[in-house]
Amino acid sequence: MLDSYLTGGYTMFPVRRNESMKLCMEVNQLTKSFRGRTVVDHLSFRVKEQEVFGLLGPNGAGKSTTIETVLGLKKADSGTAEVLGCDPVKKRREIFERIGVQLQSSHYQNYIRVGEICEEMSVLYSHPADYHKLLRQFKLEQFEKQPVDKLSGGERQKLSVVLALIPNPELVFLDELTTGLDTEARREVWQTLKALKEKGTTIFLTTHYMEEAESLCDRILLIKDGKKVTQGTVKEVVDDSPFDNLEDAYLWHMRGEERA
Amino acid sequence: MAYERGGESMKRFWTLYKVEQKLGLRCPDMLIFGVGMPVGVLVLIAVVAGNKTAGGSSYTFLQSAFASLMAVGICASAFMGIPLTVADYRDKKILKHFFVTPCTPMTLMSAIVACSVATAVLSGIAVSVVAAFVFQYRMKGSPFLFICSYLLVMTAMYSIGVFLAGLCKSVKMANVITTAVYFPMLFLSGATIPFELFPKGMQTVASVLPLTQGIKLMKQISMGDPVENAAGIIILMIAITVICSLLSKFTFRWE
Repeated sequence: MLDSYLTGGYTMFPVRRNESMKLCMEVNQLTKSFRGRTVVDHLSFRVKEQEVFGLLGPNGAGKSTTIETVLGLKKADSGTAEVLGCDPVKKRREIFERIGVQLQSSHYQNYIRVGEICEEMSVLYSHPADYHKLLRQFKLEQFEKQPVDKLSGGERQKLSVVLALIPNPELVFLDELTTGLDTEARREVWQTLKALKEKGTTIFLTTHYMEEAESLCDRILLIKDGKKVTQGTVKEVVDDSPFDNLEDAYLWHMRGEERA
Repeated sequence: MAYERGGESMKRFWTLYKVEQKLGLRCPDMLIFGVGMPVGVLVLIAVVAGNKTAGGSSYTFLQSAFASLMAVGICASAFMGIPLTVADYRDKKILKHFFVTPCTPMTLMSAIVACSVATAVLSGIAVSVVAAFVFQYRMKGSPFLFICSYLLVMTAMYSIGVFLAGLCKSVKMANVITTAVYFPMLFLSGATIPFELFPKGMQTVASVLPLTQGIKLMKQISMGDPVENAAGIIILMIAITVICSLLSKFTFRWE
């Protein structure tokens, strides 16, 4: 159902090879502070092609700042970030042709309608997906003429996924996509993400719901106060703790210092 | 290929303009301040003092007011419209949303400025139509030169507006800054209260404002009078445009 996301040929792009796996994103010692407070603290991680990578941590752990610094929206104090083999600061326009980004709690222009925001976003890309098709896939087509303000929380989040998919992205960033959604809407968004993953799109997401990470992510990175706590597959992170589920394991890892 | 890319960026601009213009029309603020107000002031001046001569000069209040009111349309959109829209987009993280696309600041700003140009032109047409058909205003000077001076003043004022838009980090700040710039210019430049009514000292102070100079140019051209220091004013307008455009290239922030 989501076959239009991939126009094919994404492997033609130069992707750096490392240990025989293709890297989509490489972050090294990334650091960002605001007014003396270090929000992202020497963070390093790699995201492989076609995987779902989850950045987990409590509110204020630095998840959004990490995304924004990686994408070049905020200037890193030190460290490097490469997305699809390029530096997003130097190659902003080229990079953003190929990735889709959903930012946390998106707002839209006053009075703008669903169709209009889609039209506006589509025209910015050289080879956009057909947004009518995307709206249909996300069951939003009946809202095309409606103001975005009138959408429910779930519909609005689905719209932000539609917008992130308009570029036909090789990699999508989703920042707390399901925060504030009811269970049903959250499950629905998960289904769409799973379908997206099956089609080979690489997904980088942040969340503070463990259930979400368990159900979607191939690998996760836990951070606290901008620092790495642990990283690995969901299974590895659980096995590293005395517990058998991610929620307890997460809390156990987060309490690391007190434990010691 | 170059042509294709040019065509693509034109298409980008027109689509953004079309959508932003629709949004502008859905919110009546700009039409009230940019079009309604100058037309309203024109009607008031014409009814109260239309044929009286203005403060010892040889022309009537209506003649004096015409050029000024054309300028009000420019200013409302330049000093209120552009900075407030951009600050609102910055506050709501809508600019951030544009940042994560291949959109250039230039494309987005052009579309926003184009909406303001449309409002200002609409305002100019409304003022002209009401002045000409309701109050029998006839321009003594050359309409062609007047339009040239109008466009020159518009370019200069818009470059100030775009520069202010880059400076205002939030809507709150934009409100303060635009009020601090817009209202003094509006009242002191002769755009609303005829300049001739001010005491001499105040006229000197008001002459410092760029808009005052712009209005002087437009007014004298509309009267068919020889423009005193025309070259100076034209250079000033061009200098403002160049400086503010360069500055706004550096002050523009997505968030």
